Amino acid sequence: MIGSLRLYAAQSAAAIRTSFSDRGNFAIQVGGMLLNDVFFLTLWVLFFAGFRSIGGWGLSDMALLFGLTMSVVGVSGVFFGGYRDMAATLLRGELDALLTQPKGLISRLLVRESIATAWGDLAGAVFVLAVFAKLSWSDLPVLLLGIAAGTTVYVSAAISFASLAFWAAGARSFARDLTDFTLLFSSYPGSIYQGAVKAIAFTILPAGFVVLAPMGMVRHPSGETLGLVAFGAVLHAGIAAALFNLGLARYRRGASPSM
Amino acid sequence: MSAVITVKSLSKAYRYARRRGGFFEAFSPEHVIVEAVAGVDFEIGAGERVAIIGPNGAGKSTTLKMLSGILEPSSGEASVLGLTPWKQRKALAYKIGVVFGQRSQLWGELPARESFALLRHIYDQEAAPFAKRLGELTERFALADLLDQPVHRMSLGQRMRCEITASLLHGPNLLFLDEPTIGLDVTAKAAIRDFIREHARDHGQTVLLTSHDTRDIELVCDRVIVVNQGRIVVDQPTDQLRRRFLGRKIITFQSAGQGVSLDLPGVTRRASEAHATILEVDTRLTRVEQVIAAALADGGIEDVTIEDPPMEEVIAEIYASTHAA
Repeated sequence: MIGSLRLYAAQSAAAIRTSFSDRGNFAIQVGGMLLNDVFFLTLWVLFFAGFRSIGGWGLSDMALLFGLTMSVVGVSGVFFGGYRDMAATLLRGELDALLTQPKGLISRLLVRESIATAWGDLAGAVFVLAVFAKLSWSDLPVLLLGIAAGTTVYVSAAISFASLAFWAAGARSFARDLTDFTLLFSSYPGSIYQGAVKAIAFTILPAGFVVLAPMGMVRHPSGETLGLVAFGAVLHAGIAAALFNLGLARYRRGASPSM
Repeated sequence: MSAVITVKSLSKAYRYARRRGGFFEAFSPEHVIVEAVAGVDFEIGAGERVAIIGPNGAGKSTTLKMLSGILEPSSGEASVLGLTPWKQRKALAYKIGVVFGQRSQLWGELPARESFALLRHIYDQEAAPFAKRLGELTERFALADLLDQPVHRMSLGQRMRCEITASLLHGPNLLFLDEPTIGLDVTAKAAIRDFIREHARDHGQTVLLTSHDTRDIELVCDRVIVVNQGRIVVDQPTDQLRRRFLGRKIITFQSAGQGVSLDLPGVTRRASEAHATILEVDTRLTRVEQVIAAALADGGIEDVTIEDPPMEEVIAEIYASTHAA
């Protein structure tokens, strides 16, 4: 276990160094993402200046939601950046080289890239959470826990979607679309989701577990909210591992599109 | 010689959905089963250098993938270094090195040195022996100037030298190479072939490679397994293969004046250059010394070269004979 963590840390450090290697490109990507986030936030600030609240949500709630979303995307992109193109990686047959090596496949696929723009999300998240979310230092542990759980669910969902590539070549773009939808659903106040849409947001697209459940835990820490967050993380990590391994077995039988 | 690889009745069939014409037929595709490897048997002993050759779709890469643990067979058995590859993939990975000519195990954006360092963690290698091995390979493969260069900026030949180095850093007993010289120029191919042959010979390493390039086989391997349509057509030492399927020699006469003209049974003239006459001799009909004696009697000969026909011709002949059968 310690050996695996050490390997992950070494690979992650290498991937991050790679994302830094072209400094001009790195600065443009990070700056661009930061601008994008600031623009998005400004819209919400202007919106709440006019309407004060939406479905019981105020600016600080929206900032917490937005900050958590950016944190999850930032942490995922920096440390697990391979999630974004995992379906394409599988379809290109790049799993073959990894299968001839003795270490875990999912971790190797996740750590193969660190996304430069994710640093922009992380920087934006720190700013938004510190300035607008009305949090105190005592909220920090539960906030970090929420980010860790949200990241687990988001990355797990991306792995599950990418695993569709073991069955269909079309999963290359479909998986990415589903991951983007999850993020989109995560970016709006939970109060606007009702009925079937809410069910989808907590199941097929686990947007509810990416941000909304962690947000509830940050605002109202309790055994119940913590349990819900932990349940979501364990459930989606389990689904991702099961789907990936099911697909891997199919790949090794030679039944996948990339074979 | 103890067997490093034992393969018994190994088969692999792929099932494809073949689309049929028409709108409604698209919803009910016809399923086709293609037998990529059809019950092959062979053994490879320690220290042998063996080539699997054959046309596209013959089952070469599929066999290699099954033996390296990537693919599960449809039926049959295989033992590689005492392990069943598809059941004990991770344990086997520590003992084998694998190089795919068209896929990389290195991190493209990273300098080769960093990729090698990561491989040390992946294979749980101690720092000191790993550094020693890297030092030896760096020297042997003249990699010193490449180590700090990102892999994606290397030429294909440089990258392949790094790929092979990467596959050897954990000291495997067995090396699998899938088309290791594909796309390389003549000089790079020669460097790769020399290295594989000499490294294997010096370390008693077993090598199994697939290739389309018959020079890889001639210059690296001492045994050839020819596959066609998933079946082994020929399994022989490289020299014997040449003799069995040839019975022919290519004799080139260099002369100052006119070319050599001989009228002997089984001797045919190939496309020749000025002052060089190239003859193909069927040695079952006329012996080589008879041809040379006749040419010398004709006069004006300055030099003589006797060669076996290129492997491409050998393979073409094998295919022709098996198809005819």
